[in-house]
Amino acid sequence: MRKVFFLIFLSTIILGACGGFSLGDGDTSSGGTGDPEDGTAQEETIVLDFWTFWGSEQRRPVIDQIIEDFNTSQDEIEVRHTYTPWGDIWTKNLAAIAAGDPPDVIINDIMTVKLRAEEGQIEPITEFVQDEVSGRFYDQMMDAAIHEDEIYALPFNTDTQILFYNKDLFEEVGLDPEQPPETWEELDEYAAQLDIEEEGTYERIGFYPLIGAGTDIWVLNALGENYLQDDGEVLIDTEPVHETFNWILDSQDKYGQNRITSVNSQFENAQQDPFMSGDVPMMVQNANYYVQLRDFAEDLNFGVAPLPERVPGNGNTSWGGGFVAEVPMGASNPEASYQFIEYLTSHEAQLYWAEQNFDLVAHEEAGVSAAGSGEFDDSGQEVYTQMIENMDETLLTPQPVIAPDYAGTVNPIFESIVSGNTDVESGLEQAQSELEQLVEDNR
Amino acid sequence: MYNTRKMKFWKSFNLILLIIGSIFMIAPLFWMVSISLKSLEEIYRGGFNFIPEDIQFSNYAAVFEIVPFFTYFVNTSMITIFVVLGNVFVNAFIAYGFAKIQFKGREVLFIVVLSTMMLPGFITLIPQYVIFANLGLVNTYYPLVLPAFLGSAFNIFLLRQFFKGVPNSMIEAAKMEGANHFYIFFKIALPMVKPALFTVAIFSFNGVWNDFLGPLLYLNDESLYTLQLGLQVFKEQSSTQWHYLMAGSLMVLFPVIVLFFLFQKYFISGSNILGQTEEK
Amino acid sequence: MNKKKENLFGYIFISPWIIGFLALTLGPLLFSLYGSFTNYNVVSRMDFVGFDNYQELFTNDNLFWVSLYNTFYFVIFSVPLTTILAILISTMMNQDIPGMRIFRTIYYLPAILSGVGVYLLWMQLLDPSTGLINQFLALFGINGPNWLFDPDWAKPSLIFMKLWSAGGAMLLYLAAMQGIPKTFYEAARIDGATNVQMFFKITLPMVSPIIFFDVITSTIGSFQIFQEAYVMSADNAGAPENSLLFFNLYMWIRAFNLFDMGYAMAMSWILFIIVLLLTLVNFKLSKRWVHYEGD
Repeated sequence: MRKVFFLIFLSTIILGACGGFSLGDGDTSSGGTGDPEDGTAQEETIVLDFWTFWGSEQRRPVIDQIIEDFNTSQDEIEVRHTYTPWGDIWTKNLAAIAAGDPPDVIINDIMTVKLRAEEGQIEPITEFVQDEVSGRFYDQMMDAAIHEDEIYALPFNTDTQILFYNKDLFEEVGLDPEQPPETWEELDEYAAQLDIEEEGTYERIGFYPLIGAGTDIWVLNALGENYLQDDGEVLIDTEPVHETFNWILDSQDKYGQNRITSVNSQFENAQQDPFMSGDVPMMVQNANYYVQLRDFAEDLNFGVAPLPERVPGNGNTSWGGGFVAEVPMGASNPEASYQFIEYLTSHEAQLYWAEQNFDLVAHEEAGVSAAGSGEFDDSGQEVYTQMIENMDETLLTPQPVIAPDYAGTVNPIFESIVSGNTDVESGLEQAQSELEQLVEDNR
Repeated sequence: MYNTRKMKFWKSFNLILLIIGSIFMIAPLFWMVSISLKSLEEIYRGGFNFIPEDIQFSNYAAVFEIVPFFTYFVNTSMITIFVVLGNVFVNAFIAYGFAKIQFKGREVLFIVVLSTMMLPGFITLIPQYVIFANLGLVNTYYPLVLPAFLGSAFNIFLLRQFFKGVPNSMIEAAKMEGANHFYIFFKIALPMVKPALFTVAIFSFNGVWNDFLGPLLYLNDESLYTLQLGLQVFKEQSSTQWHYLMAGSLMVLFPVIVLFFLFQKYFISGSNILGQTEEK
Repeated sequence: MNKKKENLFGYIFISPWIIGFLALTLGPLLFSLYGSFTNYNVVSRMDFVGFDNYQELFTNDNLFWVSLYNTFYFVIFSVPLTTILAILISTMMNQDIPGMRIFRTIYYLPAILSGVGVYLLWMQLLDPSTGLINQFLALFGINGPNWLFDPDWAKPSLIFMKLWSAGGAMLLYLAAMQGIPKTFYEAARIDGATNVQMFFKITLPMVSPIIFFDVITSTIGSFQIFQEAYVMSADNAGAPENSLLFFNLYMWIRAFNLFDMGYAMAMSWILFIIVLLLTLVNFKLSKRWVHYEGD
């Protein structure tokens, strides 16, 4: 018993010394006025809370530097950065919005801007955005930030899917390392040359569409547009999609489902990287993958190319995502928040971010400057240039307000087709009708 | 007399079984240690080597550099001390009420207690957040600590089961001598369920030490963050820094293992108390 | 008079819980009940829609039934298996064998190892080709399944993982077993009882209140399985082929990805009713097999 009292006694002492229990500084999130850090009460400073999920040793210093530059560039606004874990940051944001005390600026997913705007979670910033600013970005990104003629966010960064191929292995089997495949047919031909088969199992998998990429990317690539149109039209039960699945299944038949699963799972679990190890000489991946190759596979001689097209002339359509900076609903000073957002997406900040993180930034010109940046070596410049060129044919697929859960309806059916539990014909028919039904219900 | 040879056989059979089981239990932990000592390069290269080619103890030091580990350790300990104390004593108090006092509406109220466990936490998460926000308690430790002093269904139920084992005859006898329930609770019942109290202590220590959602929601200031929040920096949208994540997780785990190891002696002593009372 | 005093003491003892319930729990509970009859979206909308959400769930939502099936599957296998395993482990742990403290620590380890890091670790262990588990099976010439990548094996994978951490409940049973007076066993032994007989005649009845507790709480907990599935399914949404789409995962997607909070609240109350009924049945049945030493 005495020990217990001692413990209580001890903890009351610690309690006094610990910030977590003092009520005074409970409300740090404000956006209102407050004293600057040094406490000198010269002019009233607006304090902005800025939430990101960039906490790693790689990204954190970069964003902190950008914030510091902004803070020193003027003396009305002081931005305070809070790292909040990836993914969960948005749960926390939602709770904070519900309680009426959200951060002033947050980094959020570009795919869901329209949906969240519809649900009233974002402050519109249309009145602050000048044409000069909204013209900075890739069109498809700016489009994703607009809902019913109101601007809700400014794009920050993006990504795009490209083909990575192993030049040394190309050379080894007599392919020209400067001539990557341009069509699906060529992909298959090259793959056949690169394959290594021993006693019925493929030691080397020349190319399998679903290593690194998902079915949705190939469907997008085949169609040249999303299978769910903005107006609710569904394009799943169509010739190009049928062809996509047949192509994937043919390839799967060749390599065998088990072999594919084993390679794919290793990739997903980061147990092993089959591209780095040379087991898979061609693969479609997010272009950011370059960073891993740069850091962990120094000797690998690789090239990059746009996604091959289904048939010549069909287009090399690729898929991208990204993040935006936005003002959560209920933030107390949207105008000040916007000032900071504008700085975040300025040429200067975007170029810095691009150079330090090898991230494709939303600011078109900043991206072009980054492509020639001395911060990158030759192959870095080559990949970055490829990313920029790829943006011409990169589509974003924002969650449509008309059927935000469309992927949840369709993906399991796609999975079932690929695993062989459903055949292509009936699977696509089912997906088509279920999605049409969903759109109908939501109307 | 009981066959001692047979007993010996059972004991060694048991021992072998325990050892085999231990291997299964501990293998994932070794795997964790293995990853925590690899370089990220080696992890990506793959292959199935348990012992890293190039052992990187520096991973552990790096975790300290990237995460303010010590601050988070102090923060987490602070929250943990209060939550464990609250959980053990307040829940024991409540549980005794449900187990050994015949008051009106007891059965129904107990079902209500249990039913608070049945609604998924994230459904009430936002309304609860709003309550704490209105009380001005967001960004303090109060939302994390306060509920521990107001009872938790799991622990109430657990301790009730143990209090039910306290013989009614003893309570009646004490009452005859003029003792009230407070006296009986502190002097008779509580000492008898000591092993259960330590169980609750360990469970709630474990729970609060590893809690993620609570600190995530209620703490806005990074200087107040806990270890579990700190570990998340190794997991970003597209990549995971496996070596740091595992090294960090192991360091977070370490105090729990040590504590559990040390706490076990109280299990033994707890049994003696009941044994003694029986013998008297 | 005495009765009144007894009542008063009862309420005093449970008062902390009453305060907590009224201040922190009841409000959100009623709010979510009301919310289940609205199109609540957390921020801007909360219009009364009657039984629309419930009707939609029962008549027009395939995923609701899929998630319910998955959840029942998980509960039916994982609860009995983990309970039995925990009792067996504890029985073995409850004796004087050299190094028992170390054994206990080892068996309890998996229960301490929780959180996202561990689920990521298990994804590695369950990897079809390089994972520790299939490597181990290969030693015996067994070609292990594709675990999390096979819709038929995904749920068993999670059950398997749960079994691994059965040592957590060991703590409960040990605490209960330590309370069984040694004299009981000594007396039985003199009567010539075997180990197995003593286990069924003494140990099991004496720990039955804890078995009861364990079954109730792990049933409630298993119905709410969420984080494992969220982390371990490839798309965080129940892949492959919805085999890991558990009730709470689907509810989460509805609530926090699609902001259909009202709909999610309706789901939560359906689950609430199911679990409550099961618990009440359990309580009724418990009178037959749970033995309280003190009563």
